[in-house]
Amino acid sequence: MSNPGPVSPTAELSLRGVSKAFGAVQALRDVSVDCHAGEIHALVGENGSGKSTLLGIASGFVHPDEGTIEVGGRRLTRASPARARRLGIGIAYQDYSHVLDLSVAENLFLAVPPEERPSYGEMHDWAGATLERFELEIPVTAPTGSLSLAQRQLVEVAKALLTRPKALLLDEPTTALGPEEVEHFHALVLDQAKTGVAVVYVSHRLPEVLAVADRVTVLRDGVGQGTHDAASVSEKDLIALMIGRPLEVAFPERPGRDADVEPLLTVQGLRGERFGPVDLVVGKGEIVGIAGAEGNGQVQFLRALAGVEHAVGSVSCDGDAVNRSSPVGPLRAGVVLLSGDRRGEALFPVLSVRANATIQVLRRIARYGVVGRRRERSSIDDLVRQLSVRMGSAEQPVQSLSGGNQQKVSLMRPFLRGDVKVILAEEPTQGVDVGARFDIYGALRAKADEGVAAIVKSSDPLELAGLCDRVIVMSRGRIVEEIPHEELGERRIVEAIVGSRGAVAAGDGGGRR
Amino acid sequence: MKRGLLPPALMILLIVGLGAYAEASHPTFLGRSNLNALLLEAMPLVLVSLGQATALLVGGFDVSVAALMTMCVVTASFTLTPTMSGLALLPGALAVLGVGFATGLFNAVLIRLLRLPSIIATLGTLSILEGASLLLRSYPAGPINGDVVNTLNEGVSFIPLAFIAVVVLAIAADAWLYRTRSGLALRAVGLDETSSRRLGMATTRIVIAGFVVCSLMAAVAGFYLAAEVQIGSPIIGNEALESIAAAVLGGASLAGGKGSYVGTLLAAFFLTEINNVLPLFQQPTEYADMAIGVLILLALVLYQAPELVERLRGAWKRLDRTAGPDTEPSAA
Repeated sequence: MSNPGPVSPTAELSLRGVSKAFGAVQALRDVSVDCHAGEIHALVGENGSGKSTLLGIASGFVHPDEGTIEVGGRRLTRASPARARRLGIGIAYQDYSHVLDLSVAENLFLAVPPEERPSYGEMHDWAGATLERFELEIPVTAPTGSLSLAQRQLVEVAKALLTRPKALLLDEPTTALGPEEVEHFHALVLDQAKTGVAVVYVSHRLPEVLAVADRVTVLRDGVGQGTHDAASVSEKDLIALMIGRPLEVAFPERPGRDADVEPLLTVQGLRGERFGPVDLVVGKGEIVGIAGAEGNGQVQFLRALAGVEHAVGSVSCDGDAVNRSSPVGPLRAGVVLLSGDRRGEALFPVLSVRANATIQVLRRIARYGVVGRRRERSSIDDLVRQLSVRMGSAEQPVQSLSGGNQQKVSLMRPFLRGDVKVILAEEPTQGVDVGARFDIYGALRAKADEGVAAIVKSSDPLELAGLCDRVIVMSRGRIVEEIPHEELGERRIVEAIVGSRGAVAAGDGGGRR
Repeated sequence: MKRGLLPPALMILLIVGLGAYAEASHPTFLGRSNLNALLLEAMPLVLVSLGQATALLVGGFDVSVAALMTMCVVTASFTLTPTMSGLALLPGALAVLGVGFATGLFNAVLIRLLRLPSIIATLGTLSILEGASLLLRSYPAGPINGDVVNTLNEGVSFIPLAFIAVVVLAIAADAWLYRTRSGLALRAVGLDETSSRRLGMATTRIVIAGFVVCSLMAAVAGFYLAAEVQIGSPIIGNEALESIAAAVLGGASLAGGKGSYVGTLLAAFFLTEINNVLPLFQQPTEYADMAIGVLILLALVLYQAPELVERLRGAWKRLDRTAGPDTEPSAA
């Protein structure tokens, strides 16, 4: 690991020894980053490596367990976004800080510090002039909610700059931007750096961020992997630093694939608010992985397939069109979503394991409308064994199980239904311990071997590489790459996500100059 | 703001319409003495509704306001007794306001620091205040100071001074809400707290202020309730739901961040007018409750009509889409 270096006297923003745990997950462990005035400092890492948490701490939104934050030599003593702003932190959040019901002008007005604030009556003129200064053509009276995602992103950056920050933090600022907008945005960032602003630029798009960065700090699993000169470090080296988690789980064996599997799920021109158009064909018995940096439309795509999110386009399953106006249509067609939000969407936390498992098939278990407890129990006994659900009794509330066992309970549903054709799994092993992971992979593969198609959205490239028959990579809501079985590997997937290969549509921000 | 004008306009229409209808069959309705009585009768509900609108604006509810008004009447029956006069009344009046202030702070602590949903938190406060009122006065007793009552009821010709004051207050409050930075900040917090916090606003302070203002207004409403009943009655305040109804009829959104003080004032006045008109027609007041319920539903539907039309259109499109995959709208 190269030099994070001692506290530099000229560091405009200095994060020292920052640690943060969320529950059992150690999001950051003793991370230090210095960003000098006029420097563009890239912060890169895989999903979940702790980038956003670090920015959250730097901006006063998240309280660190340990470590110090200094801006221009002054210490941020207490987690408070208001204080951080007064110290000179400006931040553009990945998911914005807009009040969508208010107009663009009102949002800008709320963002500007008191000493620069115009009178209320001059708000619109001032907002218009401000947007002009940033070369944004956006009507100031429009409700912010009516803006396109790209416009929202640019206004978010403008809001951060309005505070005239000493340190500007950018969290994935280009996820919604097209190539020209990225270029425009980078020109803006370079201008800021020239005037002496310290810029911390978080991105997973390596070519983009390397085009403007002076130095790069890599995070992996919440641990700093050193700070490097952008000019002297190659994308390849950075990727090597980003990945490399030891393989801790064995994956179920993939069956030999026939050259042409029978198509089961066909998606044509599907588009929603945050993705599309997407075309995809998944064959019987196939497990297809969806990779991509968070927030590139993967979740919305998966949920649209299940009829949870609104989208236009056509989806057919086993030859029949799927009605996606509500989740009922996909369920009838045999398309089952395993939501990543276990507590909120997948399970009824206070109900028993038994009730959670059988809730979709009660009609079949019931006789004359009465659910026999014994029939119910016997219907799940085999599955409990097959999936090795570890629990005291089938009557205990599902919330008292570990995350992995909770996930297994929601997995029992497609097994019980029997009529399932497609399983859509969103982060199936998030918060799941290693032992249970293997059981879950095994269960998904067992279903696939029965002819079920599965689509697995995961932020863990290692998992996708080990489990899936092929992996599609999404960026800005579209499929930008498809990685076939033979090429699957963690590095290959990460390379595709960070866009270091040719196939990326909107990659290289500097390329057009 | 254009859509924001609909609620006040509708309320004015209803007030005038109902007034004209009542006058047509009972020519004394618009007489000075009845108007004076009507305006005074409206004071407690108007005042507490203005407070409630503030709680709704910061994204909460306060169902404890009616119990608080009762508590203030009971308090006044101890601190504003008929034997007092002049400046000696000031501490007593401050005590009543103090009860309001303390209740507001208590609610705010429950809601902000202990993170209870406002409707649950204020329901608890409601029970505590009701119990406390009954403990202090198990039956109506303790007449309220007559000077105080007369001062509160004073007026120019048939219009009570208090009514003029409250109209000015509502207009000023709307001007503040829609024409100043702090008013904008209050609405922003009600609309989207996370974004507001990210923008560096003192969200906690703003919400606490919202609930304290709500309770203080309820305490002021308590004065007018005291002036009306003129005795320390432990069971008279019943304005909790009516105040929410008035704020909503006046244009407030239950989701927070939207509302109008002038609209609320007009709606509160209209609700009082209904109660006042029905006895003229020998109708039982139960009809008033039902009328209020129907009106709220109608108003909500009407206010949301633009969104509703939009939603129906969307649903229609979705029907089209699912009818056949070939008839896709290939919109960009």
